[in-house]
Amino acid sequence: MHSISRRHFGRNALATAGVALATPLFVRPASAADRLMVVQWGAPWIDVSKEIAEKYNQTHNTQIAWELHSGGSAAVVAKIKARWPNTQYNLLSVWDPVFRDMIAEDWLLPVDESIVTNLSAIPDAFIQKNAAGQSMTVPLSTAGAFWGYREDVLPDGFDSIEDLLRPEFKGQLAVPYPINLSGLFVVSCAIQRGGNEFDVEPGWEFLKELASSGSIGRICTNNSEFINAMASGQYGVGFWNNGGWFSASKNFPVTIKNRMPDNKGFLYNEGLCVLKGSPEETAWEFANYFADSRNNELYNMNLGSGPTHPEAKANPAIASWYYSPEELEDHAYIPDYAHLGRVKNEWNQRWEQEIVPLIR
Amino acid sequence: MSVDRFERALLLPALVVFVPLLLGPIAVLLAESLKPYEGGRIGGTDGAGLTFTNYTDIWNPSYAHYFSDTFRIGLIVAVAALLLGYPIAHFVVRIAAPRLSKAILIGLIAMLFLSMIVRIYAITMTYGPLGPLAEVSWLFGIDPRERVHTEMMVIFGLLHAVLPLVALTLIGTVQTLNPRLEEAAISLGAPHWKAFFAITLMLSVPGILSAGIIGYAFCISNLVVPMIMGKGFVVFVSNLIYFRFSEVSNFPSGAAISIIMLLVSLGLFYGAMRFVANLWPPVKPRSR
Repeated sequence: MHSISRRHFGRNALATAGVALATPLFVRPASAADRLMVVQWGAPWIDVSKEIAEKYNQTHNTQIAWELHSGGSAAVVAKIKARWPNTQYNLLSVWDPVFRDMIAEDWLLPVDESIVTNLSAIPDAFIQKNAAGQSMTVPLSTAGAFWGYREDVLPDGFDSIEDLLRPEFKGQLAVPYPINLSGLFVVSCAIQRGGNEFDVEPGWEFLKELASSGSIGRICTNNSEFINAMASGQYGVGFWNNGGWFSASKNFPVTIKNRMPDNKGFLYNEGLCVLKGSPEETAWEFANYFADSRNNELYNMNLGSGPTHPEAKANPAIASWYYSPEELEDHAYIPDYAHLGRVKNEWNQRWEQEIVPLIR
Repeated sequence: MSVDRFERALLLPALVVFVPLLLGPIAVLLAESLKPYEGGRIGGTDGAGLTFTNYTDIWNPSYAHYFSDTFRIGLIVAVAALLLGYPIAHFVVRIAAPRLSKAILIGLIAMLFLSMIVRIYAITMTYGPLGPLAEVSWLFGIDPRERVHTEMMVIFGLLHAVLPLVALTLIGTVQTLNPRLEEAAISLGAPHWKAFFAITLMLSVPGILSAGIIGYAFCISNLVVPMIMGKGFVVFVSNLIYFRFSEVSNFPSGAAISIIMLLVSLGLFYGAMRFVANLWPPVKPRSR
């Protein structure tokens, strides 16, 4: 049997220790890439976001993990609340009402404008601020919620949503669950009858008439459901956001009714925010990349929404969906989203108690 | 250690894991249901005392419809699944050739692996206005725009999801029955149908009850089928809970409805089991 002498053992041990101590001088450990968990909507948002992120990763060693919103973007706040402050999310792509909710919860980091240099080009009115006046969001899109219809299903369309009470529209409406789109559907009904988001009783009366007339054919709870509903041909009229309408319009002729004399088109902003506890520099660099003019144009070209960077061009296919500065006062409406956030629970209960029984 | 004690001890690891994972979240839910909710905030307000408002808000006659729809449609689907599942199970175990039995078993198991979303949209498109079976509802005098049609679609969707589960459970039940009991009855002069109903079916009752409970529980707790196929006007209690947690951020109200649903469901299942136990008391083993 081969035996090892103490001298032999000691020599080998010293050599091994020497190699171990010298290794860091010659072998660099792989640099730990920063990791970001980003929450984004499904197609088409996630498709174009991944395209932009791929370009970003050509010059930045950042691992991007994506998670999709399930339903409206408000669903993610439940997940964050359950684990706060130990949330795994870093950047969220949401819209104004949800920004307001998260600002109220003090979950967001103020924008580091030394990193997000593109923010200075974006109109200040688009940026959500906290009580101290700090910018809390990086707006990427100007979007909207509108009434519209499929021209091939309803060639004659409609001129006013009062028309939707007529028998020929029975079962034709695909509308949002009222809390989706932050209650804009209810606000639209209120505006129709001379009210607004603060004086909403006229809207509930109109909704009861719509429900009783049988016009409401489907109540959609997410973007995919609306796109599928409009694609099925079973529904000719809808109230939904630009993303849903844009997807529908790729396959079917669609008319957006955002210039009706007795109603409005609703505008809001979507964008990115960063949660506290995130790798700040990495997160803001990523957000800034999305906000530059080229990527902002690419992002919105695919979504059917308006870019926020002044040098980014809008998709010509949806040019008529948005308003010129002169049209804003007559046709656009930007509700108080903070107020809508405060009343959504009450409106949800009223919908369940007063409207659904009429539709069933 | 006696065999009995040893077998009880084997349960300990499962209980240690299961009890905190099951009872812990229910306790958290109960605590959340007693918190007040402030509009615009996310979740209940901590440190603002306790309240029963979240429970009294549900004490509105309109909410009775949601509970009755949930339990009624669930019952219809569970009964339909049993009526369809038992013949499938009996055929697979007693009648079909081995190859056909295996093929049916594989088909049932494969359906369980198929995504629920895929199945739901397949049914929606099949019976939709452009689908191959679009005219089926008209044959029954049902307008596709009517609520009855929507309810029918929800029932189809739930049945599609729960039938494989129920059939597989019943296959296990029928397999444990000794076929010679039925043969003995026939050899003593009983007609086939009488032997089947008096012996095979009666002996299957505990298994039928188990399969029925599994199917019923699956149906009343289902979220996806009523959400997609219900069109927003066939709404289950699970949908009410989901909207409160995910859209409104009113966790206390969602928690309160969850607790109410839990208590009502437990009461129903206990009542059903007591009813069957009274009709078919368990046979006690003879003491040696």
